[in-house]
Amino acid sequence: MGIGSGSVDVSAVRHILSDGRVLLDDVSFRVGEGARAALVGENGAGKTTLLRIIAGDLVPEAGAIARTGGLGVMRQFIGSVRDDTTVQRMLVDLAPPAVREAWHAVEAAELAMMETDDEPTQMTYANALAHWGDVGGYDIEITWDTVTVAALGVPYDRCKYRELSTLSGGEQKRLALEALLRGPDQVLLLDEPDNYLDVPGKRWLEERLLETRKTVLLVSHDRELLARVADRVITVEGGTAWVHGGGFASYPEARSARHERLAELRRRWDEEHQRLIDLVRTMQQQAANSPDMANRYHAMQTRLAKFEAAGPPPERPPEQKVAMRLRGGRTGVRAVIAEGLELTGLMQPFDAELWFGDRVGVLGANGAGKSHFLRLLAGQEVAHTGSWRLGARVVPGFFAQTHAHPEWQDRTPVDLLWHGETGPGAGGRAGIDRGRAMAALRRYGLHGAADQPFRTLSGGQQARFQILMLELGGATLLLLDEPTDNLDVLSAEALEEALAAFEGTVLAVTHDRWFARSFDRFLVFGSDGRVYESAEPVFDETRVARAR
Amino acid sequence: MTLTVPPSSSDSSSELPWDAAVEQAVDRLRGEYAGRVRPQLVVRVVRESRRDLGGSPVGALPELVERLARYRLGTHVG
Repeated sequence: MGIGSGSVDVSAVRHILSDGRVLLDDVSFRVGEGARAALVGENGAGKTTLLRIIAGDLVPEAGAIARTGGLGVMRQFIGSVRDDTTVQRMLVDLAPPAVREAWHAVEAAELAMMETDDEPTQMTYANALAHWGDVGGYDIEITWDTVTVAALGVPYDRCKYRELSTLSGGEQKRLALEALLRGPDQVLLLDEPDNYLDVPGKRWLEERLLETRKTVLLVSHDRELLARVADRVITVEGGTAWVHGGGFASYPEARSARHERLAELRRRWDEEHQRLIDLVRTMQQQAANSPDMANRYHAMQTRLAKFEAAGPPPERPPEQKVAMRLRGGRTGVRAVIAEGLELTGLMQPFDAELWFGDRVGVLGANGAGKSHFLRLLAGQEVAHTGSWRLGARVVPGFFAQTHAHPEWQDRTPVDLLWHGETGPGAGGRAGIDRGRAMAALRRYGLHGAADQPFRTLSGGQQARFQILMLELGGATLLLLDEPTDNLDVLSAEALEEALAAFEGTVLAVTHDRWFARSFDRFLVFGSDGRVYESAEPVFDETRVARAR
Repeated sequence: MTLTVPPSSSDSSSELPWDAAVEQAVDRLRGEYAGRVRPQLVVRVVRESRRDLGGSPVGALPELVERLARYRLGTHVG
């Protein structure tokens, strides 16, 4: 089976959440050979769940998935791996099942040899190695070497035991993408593959996706990437899915037209329903006075019953309403002052002044220190020389790129809002009661997840919750590290509107080309260590070359 | 003390080429077991080990052969 011969058929899939709610119903679509399909929808609509069903992680309550070709899956968490997973382990996990099984057998045999060196153990080891060779393990190791050189600039043997946590989010993503795009699987499921990638990285991804002959189904919130890559758009909304057969450029219009059509069909159904009810009532009265009408009355009753049994057409999906109220407040004219500031080993010393009300985009190369700069301003420990200070009444509020809030993981949004919070970047947030918490969560479209542990929220829900925490914390300086990375398009627009209305200063690291264009000026962290200002967004800084 | 090693059969495995895996293992194990095992038995054990590991990846053979032969010789010598 050659590259490009994979396809995915999803038919009549139904998925019910553990609390009994139907998340997906009657979901059917086909991603044909060589297609590049985008899967879009609001946060929490079920995109990742649908991908997990297609990947075989979840079994749907009804319906079926049919697939041709090997399946490669890049999960959303790649880019934020913080445990002890190694480069080798991730590459193994991304390999076809036969390779994974053979690798585990070799590993088990090696461990057994450390315990017992007898003949059966040695023969088991030799057989495991032979099987590794038979399933193409040695060939795939050559591919892994190409992958690590392309993604990290070092051969496989020199980085295979390196922990992913020592790599940036972009490096983790690039590594996984190189492995999948160069690997043997014909169908790729990519859950937010562009997250953590800088703009050159996104452009690289776009080119690779355009040139690959593999079949691709991807979730992304990057409108530029969607517009360039997707040749069809599958939307998960209203508990089901529908397909727009064109690219993303014509998608908003198609979606509006579909919503209007659904609304029209529903209106006609309601009208017909009412007409039949009225007819039944009229005939009921006529039948009481005229036995001849009794048969017609019963026939009309049957017709109404059949009409109701067939059910109404699907409702127009409700529009998600996200209302963010980032109030801020008046601060000193100079909000941030940096003089001869150098984050140790990351950049050359630079000066910067941010004025009250500034909207500054922080752009530049991965690994150049952008996130560290924000953490420093948020009051966290970051090694540096030179000086920096915040202006009068400047209260920083920090939005973390990787949602790194270990203390939140097992707590629910309501619980987190009930208890106040103090500390660097927290802004001295006071606790609020359940009623106010639910009202706030509703504004952010999070009321349905109010009592779920934070760790079970989707990436977009976690992002919206962080923004809510900023709102309640009374921050006057927003330090946002890739805030749109996990937000769906509508939520990203709501955030942009909220930032426009925010009375205070905003400093945001972003690789989102569309979002970046809404800023007034830019602080660019160059790959040569130079930090400079630009009136226009600069997206072509290459990655920082680091000794490895 | 005699080494209990099955006699070489007349099948094709006994006609294995005198490849690098065998040569390196014999060189090392001859020295290691000098005075304890007759050199020709070292050769035979190594060749038998090589035959038993016939399906193994070529790159891994030298290590696998030497390791298995050493284990078999060690078991014999006690």
